[in-house]
Amino acid sequence: MIQTSALSIRKLDKSYQGLRATRGVDLEVAPGERRLIIGPNGAGKTTLFNLIAGEIRPDTGSVALFGREITRLPSHRRVHLGLSRTYQIITLFPRDTLLRNVMLSLLGLSPLRWNPLLRLDRQRPLVERAERALARVGLAHMKHRPLVETSYGERRRVEIAMALAQNPRLLLLDEPFAGLSVDERREVKALLFAIPRDVTIVMIEHDMDVALDFAERISVMHFGAVAVDGTRAEVVADPRTREIYLGA
Amino acid sequence: MIDAHLLTSGIIFGLSLGSIFFLMTVGLSLCFGLMRIISLDQLLYYSLGAYVTYSISHATSYVWLGVLAGAVVGGLAAFAVERLLYRRIYERDITFSMITSFGMLIAGIGAIKYIWGLTPRPVSVPITAEVDILGTLVPIYRLVIIGAAFVVYAGIWLFLNRTMVGKAIRAGIENVEHVEGLGINVYRLFAVTFIIAGTLSALAGGLYAPLIMVDPQMGLDVLAFAFMVVIIGGLGSIKGTFVSAFLVGQVVSLGSLAYAPLAQMAPFAIMLVVLLVKPTGLYGSPLLKR
Repeated sequence: MIQTSALSIRKLDKSYQGLRATRGVDLEVAPGERRLIIGPNGAGKTTLFNLIAGEIRPDTGSVALFGREITRLPSHRRVHLGLSRTYQIITLFPRDTLLRNVMLSLLGLSPLRWNPLLRLDRQRPLVERAERALARVGLAHMKHRPLVETSYGERRRVEIAMALAQNPRLLLLDEPFAGLSVDERREVKALLFAIPRDVTIVMIEHDMDVALDFAERISVMHFGAVAVDGTRAEVVADPRTREIYLGA
Repeated sequence: MIDAHLLTSGIIFGLSLGSIFFLMTVGLSLCFGLMRIISLDQLLYYSLGAYVTYSISHATSYVWLGVLAGAVVGGLAAFAVERLLYRRIYERDITFSMITSFGMLIAGIGAIKYIWGLTPRPVSVPITAEVDILGTLVPIYRLVIIGAAFVVYAGIWLFLNRTMVGKAIRAGIENVEHVEGLGINVYRLFAVTFIIAGTLSALAGGLYAPLIMVDPQMGLDVLAFAFMVVIIGGLGSIKGTFVSAFLVGQVVSLGSLAYAPLAQMAPFAIMLVVLLVKPTGLYGSPLLKR
């Protein structure tokens, strides 16, 4: 039986005023896989993420999520299909507590989100699910603290909790280790390793020590295209990787 | 020296004028805050609210029914314009929305002239009673207008801070992509915002109609004041719009008491000073381009 890819990208092109941000990107990510996308600054990694998440539309090419064509689907609809992403900087509800932030991310998938009279605190199932999500990232003890009063590392974990709370099938992580201390990196790393295999993960990361540990397959991007693609060992051994990424 | 009675009535007049300015411009501010568009067509809904109030009150003798109907018609008109027009230009430069909405305002005024004619129309005041404040008789209707502005401000605050839709609108002001990332259709939020904005602009027109003669140019007549209010307060800031509307209202009212030409000139002077000291307005954040 042929297994459907979690993410299937074909010939994805995106240009900005003549500058090609991605060119003919092909990518296949298997269900449950941990995929790392690396490349120098300006290689097109974030553009590719934005194309997958639906925040920008490609000029040509296609994106499929678990066999379903989503190229023209708006980003909010993709979330409902099981695609979640994290951002480098969390900006959503800084004055609200961690619990409410996670609850609001859960509510985004519920029909209740359009009810202006909804009392969030009385939604027991949502509260419980949000508490479980916070416990999963080790922040249950500070669930009533406003987001604005948390450290950068804690916010990164809140963001992961918000994404995980949505029960994604594909999780896009945008530099989850950026700006973290050594201890925080260790914690986030343990957290990512604990995510079950029914969640496929695609990650952009510059911290090679942590990322190489985590990823099973790696795609190296250069000038908007996937230049090298393979297992960890294959990519590390490939001379093009050294040339492109390590500058050797 | 200004007479104490004159001063009291001037302050009340200024507060009621500020209330109208707030209701008239809060939609403009909301639309800019979330969608980064200059929605000058809000002044069309302001006029529309006044005309519907005139027509309904004329037909039924119930001014309040007219005000209510005007607000509903304003909200529906704003929704239609959002669907048919703005949805096509959200991604464009901000000046594009300004020119488009100004065109919409002019076209709408033309439609009003066609439907209601050029003759100014009177609307009777629904409450004629007066109340004694510090020895000065003040029309209760003006106090009702002031109360309406405070209720609307409190309502918007509760809506933006206590409901999911409101929170999403506030978050959308900062980052549309993140809100979409929660699974929320931002374009539906835009439509909700437009309906609220149009309803409030029309409510301003309906409430103001009994105090003025309703005429086709009424939206254009207040255009300069609308701009001043949102610029002084800070584009996109509801609190700023609230404070600025009352500031401009008082300056116009008390300025006219002190020296008549001040009523027109002083708000511009205040805007100039505010822009020199704080270019983003009293409560505005730096203009972020999406």
